[in-house]
Amino acid sequence: MRLHGLLAGLRRLFASRTTALGTTIVLLFILVAIFAPILAPYEYNQQIYSDARQPPSSTHWFGTDHLGRDVFSRVLLGAGDIFTLAGVGTLLAVITGMAFGLLSGYWGDLFDEILMRLFDGLLAIPALLLSLLLLGTLGPSRNSILIVILVVYTPIVARVVRSAVLSVKNKSFVEAARLQGESLGRILFREILPSVMPTLAVEAALRFSYAIFLVASLGFLGVGVQPPSPNWGLMVNEARPYVSQLPWAMYFPAAAIAVVVIGVNLMADGVKRVLRA
Amino acid sequence: MILLGTNFRLHNKRLAAALLVALMIALAACGGGAATEPPTSDETPSSTQDGATEEPSAPQENPAQEESTEANTGSDQERAGTLRVAMQPIVNIDPIAISSDSEVLVANHVYDYLVDIDHLSNPVPRLATGWNISEDGLTYTLPLAEGVTWHDGSPFSAEDVVWTFDRLRTTEGTPTFDLYANIANVEATGDLEVTFTLTNPNPFFLYDLSDNHALILKAGTTDADSNFNGTGPFVVTNYSPEDRIEMVANENYFVPDQPSLAGLDIIFFNDDTAAIEALRGGQIDLAMRMSTALFESLKEEPGIITSDVPTNGFDLIRLRSDRAPGDDPRVMQALKLATDREAILNVVQQGYGALGNDSPIGPLYDAYHDETVMPPARDIEAARALLAEAGYEDGLQLTLHTPDTGNRPDLAAVLKEQWSEIGVDVEISVEPESVYYGDDGWLEVDLGITGWGSRPYPQFYLDVMLVSDAIWNESHFSDAEFDALAATAGTTLDEAERIQAYSDIQRLLADRGPIIIPYYFAQFGAISDQFEGLNLKAFAGRTDFRTIRYLGN
Repeated sequence: MRLHGLLAGLRRLFASRTTALGTTIVLLFILVAIFAPILAPYEYNQQIYSDARQPPSSTHWFGTDHLGRDVFSRVLLGAGDIFTLAGVGTLLAVITGMAFGLLSGYWGDLFDEILMRLFDGLLAIPALLLSLLLLGTLGPSRNSILIVILVVYTPIVARVVRSAVLSVKNKSFVEAARLQGESLGRILFREILPSVMPTLAVEAALRFSYAIFLVASLGFLGVGVQPPSPNWGLMVNEARPYVSQLPWAMYFPAAAIAVVVIGVNLMADGVKRVLRA
Repeated sequence: MILLGTNFRLHNKRLAAALLVALMIALAACGGGAATEPPTSDETPSSTQDGATEEPSAPQENPAQEESTEANTGSDQERAGTLRVAMQPIVNIDPIAISSDSEVLVANHVYDYLVDIDHLSNPVPRLATGWNISEDGLTYTLPLAEGVTWHDGSPFSAEDVVWTFDRLRTTEGTPTFDLYANIANVEATGDLEVTFTLTNPNPFFLYDLSDNHALILKAGTTDADSNFNGTGPFVVTNYSPEDRIEMVANENYFVPDQPSLAGLDIIFFNDDTAAIEALRGGQIDLAMRMSTALFESLKEEPGIITSDVPTNGFDLIRLRSDRAPGDDPRVMQALKLATDREAILNVVQQGYGALGNDSPIGPLYDAYHDETVMPPARDIEAARALLAEAGYEDGLQLTLHTPDTGNRPDLAAVLKEQWSEIGVDVEISVEPESVYYGDDGWLEVDLGITGWGSRPYPQFYLDVMLVSDAIWNESHFSDAEFDALAATAGTTLDEAERIQAYSDIQRLLADRGPIIIPYYFAQFGAISDQFEGLNLKAFAGRTDFRTIRYLGN
């Protein structure tokens, strides 16, 4: 994409107030995720026993949890954790899903039929249930979570890409490339992909927001990343028994999840509108 | 095969759904927190509260009032009130098969033990009126109480006791089959007298007689798994599995003036939080077994009296001692030196319970516990030096396995932080209990946290966990000196010798044992101020409601 096109796109993105809000939230959180190790006043598992169970104050902005850990630092550092897992997982799912979607849509016939029925089967299982099944088999670890995101979201991305491919594969410019004897890769990536790109971009953004939520949910259920990771979902889970004593230890990570998911969704909505225009 | 519609263009719907879900977390969070004010930070978690911290408050509006008065008008004049207790659902009702707190609690009020354990862990008579032990420690003669009848009206006799113990010791595959293997003979030596003959002396036999399963059944009973015909203080009137069990006082109970309650309802809750909310709302009167956090949240609650008692239950951190890195005792000694037990007690247990000395013989055992034994104080330099001597000067990586129950994940997080200071890098693996204990995985892993419940006497832990051939020797500990001491303590009839052996065992374990025991738990209970006389026991299921009185008006 050309630079001035990108800039024009960004300008249009910020033209809508809700989209601007969403994009700002996401950019802010990405900055936080990157600079958290510098910004966070404490280590993620640093326990200051004398400061345990303190409400928010000037030394501990978000208070401390039951083990004397600074909730503010953990929320900041958790941003990095959740963005990395959700980001890498989504990237993997988008790349795999794109490849399957392009091939399936372009080749059609038996390959398409088999692959799509296979994906139908995967999609029939609720995402969270499928995740639990996979994590139960693989055992909880960061890599397992990436695999979960890959398996859960690849079929969805593939289906979206496939339907977009179907709408362009019989257009004359694709026909022309085929008649010129272009290679499969060239047709897929140079001719078809650009027209599928808007759909793919929106899908990727949406998947990213869902992946954040999935990583947080798995953390909350205690089957994802292991303690003492500052994963927001895990933090909510750990703070839950103490909610009447230390509500801040639970509210701040919960609010972080809510804000990021809302932000990504508002942004995705705007991206879609810009790309459609 | 289900075909999902391809409605992927409905972005707005999906956005709405995502927003909804995201907000749900925040909303769900609001539900719990709004009710209570956060405690002030000057409240030290270590302050022990002895239950009577609050004046009984004026009657407040809650359903308990109505219900209780209703119950009050029920049966005879002296007995009054129905105590409604929250407990986990029960599965087994036959005493030979019971195991959970709630199963024992139910059975303990329908049936009677021959010998009971009081809240100070001493054996006390129940159906037996006392005991005579022969010089050689092999013959126990127990006279039985007079005037005892079964709920069906028939009289109780020594034959019932003989029949019950024969059943307990001859039914294979039950815990009591092994426990009572040492009994050579049980016989009725009178209409109301029973005599046990042992193969080998067992100084803890009275405790064994009071085993959770040893509730006396009527001779010839075949339907104990579906019927409740006991001699106990309460008679079951209604049992709805998964819901509740309702009982009324046994009017013919052999102890005069007991029970003083007119009724007892045990209401089943799967979720501790729900049980506590029911207590707050007045739908139940008593809850036992709850997390420290829930207990703390009840302390400020008007109309509820909280109490906590020490137990000998503990969380155990153990390192396998039969393979690297644990086969070098210096590794465990370094971990012991790196552990700040006091901080763990204050942070993980909020100060409830007692400080551990790395042995399962806790302060609850009075004379057997040696309070002069303490593992060496925290010393990071010494710990580092020991690790280096053992060949781990560049640090050590360990995976710490822990069940996801209780405060164990918190304990793991604190240990990770404390041990990181000596260069031990801990990766935590939190597992559901079914996974942790499944396929005996807990006996295999190198480093693990295991919770052990409270027992009335300490020999149990040594015999099943620490002697070389113990069935649950999770640390794979094998130490000839330890085995000899444990054998002495378990068989000698000389109390002074046993006390000495236990003291030596504690010293040995603190010094070179494969285990760290940072704390002993407290047992929690919270009861409506309409009742008095609750004596919590270390094993909640053995708590006795016979003497609880209703004060309601």
